[in-house]
Amino acid sequence: MLEPSLDLYGETFEKVDALFEDLLTKSHGLYVLIVDLKGFVIAHNKALWAPKPPSLDSLATLIASNYSANIAIAQLFGEKGFKEMVQQGDGIGMYVEELTDKTLLVTVFDSSAALGRIKLFTKKTIVEVKAVLAASTDTRPTMNFDDKWQSSTQSLIDGLFGASK
Amino acid sequence: MSTINFSAHEINFKIVYYGPGMSGKTTNLKKIYENIPQESKGEMVSLATEDERTLFFDFLPLDLGEVNGFKTRFHLYTVPGQVFYNSSRKLILRGVDGVIFVGDSAPNRLRANAESLRNLRENLNEYNLDLDDLPFVVQINKRDLPDALPLDMIKQVLDPTGKIPFIGAVAAKNEGVLEPLREVSRLVLEKLAQTA
Ligand SMILES: Nc1nc2c(ncn2[C@@H]2O[C@H](COP(=O)(O)OP(=O)(O)OP(=O)(O)O)[C@@H](O)[C@H]2O)c(=O)[nH]1
Ligand SMILES: [Mg+2]
Repeated sequence: MLEPSLDLYGETFEKVDALFEDLLTKSHGLYVLIVDLKGFVIAHNKALWAPKPPSLDSLATLIASNYSANIAIAQLFGEKGFKEMVQQGDGIGMYVEELTDKTLLVTVFDSSAALGRIKLFTKKTIVEVKAVLAASTDTRPTMNFDDKWQSSTQSLIDGLFGASK
Repeated sequence: MSTINFSAHEINFKIVYYGPGMSGKTTNLKKIYENIPQESKGEMVSLATEDERTLFFDFLPLDLGEVNGFKTRFHLYTVPGQVFYNSSRKLILRGVDGVIFVGDSAPNRLRANAESLRNLRENLNEYNLDLDDLPFVVQINKRDLPDALPLDMIKQVLDPTGKIPFIGAVAAKNEGVLEPLREVSRLVLEKLAQTA
C-alpha cells in the first residue's frame, strides 16, 4: 500500500506554503517544517534571511524520534503525552506541536525571536493549516506502478546496491 | 506502509536492521555508507553510548534515483540490540516497510538470535504487523569467526520453514553487506507494485 502521510499537493500545498511564509514573517522564525512520525519531511520553508539549514533528513528523523520518545516517557507516568515540546539553546530554539495524528509542525528560531511569539504564531498556523486541509477539494493524484516502473526501479537497485566487494 | 509525498515527488521506504546486541547492525550501516557514492546518500546519524553501543538508533538516508518523475528514497535504521532497550526498539519499528535481521554466527549467541527474532515478532504485533507479511531478509554475520556455527544449523533454528532468504556475511570486511539490502529493497518495491 502507498499513502501520503498528509494530503498536501496542488492548491492545498500552495496555500499551506503561503501560511508558512506568513508564519516566518510574523514570528521571526528561521525554518518551518512538517515532518511525519516516520521521520520524513513532508514540507518545509525557510525565512529569506535564514542561513542554509542543516540536513533536513537528519532533523526530521531526530524530531520524530524525540517526539515519540517523549510520548513514551509521558505514558510511563500514565499521561497521554506532554503538552508541548520546546528546545532552547544559546542560539537556536525549536518548537514542536502535533498537526495531525501522523504529522508534526516544527518551527526553528534563533535568539532574535521571542518564544512567546513563536508559540503564538505556530499555534495559529496549525489551526489555519488544518482548515486548509479540511477544505481541500484537490483529488489525490494517482501513480502507475506498471512493469516499466518496476523494471526501472529494479535496475536502479542493481546499480546502487549491485556491486558488493 | 510506504509513503508518498506528491508535492516533493518522493516515494519513501523505511528499512530497519534488527538483531541481538553486537551482531553487527551498526557495522552494516557504516559499510553501506562507505559503499554508496556521495550523491546517493545523506548524513549518517548515530545515537550511541560512549562505548559505541547503539542507544537509540543509527540512521542513513539513501536516494535510489528517479523514475517517472518520482524519487525513490530509503531510510535505513538500526535498533539497539541490547535486551533492556526494548522501548527504543519498538519506537524505531513504527512505519517499517522492510526488515533485515542481522544474526550472529557465534555458538554462544544462537539463543540471543532466536530471542531477538521472537522479540521482533512481538514488537511488530504491537503495530498490528505480521513479520510473515513484511519484506524480510536474514543476514548471518561474523562468518569469519573460527568457531562460527554452520549456516544451515542457524537457519534450522531461526527459520525451520526455510522460506526466508538467508545471506552469510562478514560485515566488518564489507562482505555480504549490500546483498541483503538489495534483496529487501527488491521485495519492498515488489510489494508496493502488487498492492498499490
Ligand atoms: N568477527 C567479526 N566481528 C564483527 C563483524 N561485524 C561486526 N563485528 C564486530 O562486532 C562488534 C559489534 O558491532 P556493532 O555493529 O556495533 O553491533 P550492533 O549490532 O550495532 O550492536 P548494538 O548496537 O549493541 O545492538 C564490533 O566490535 C564489530 O567490529 C564481523 O563480520 N566479524
Ligand atoms: Mg549498533
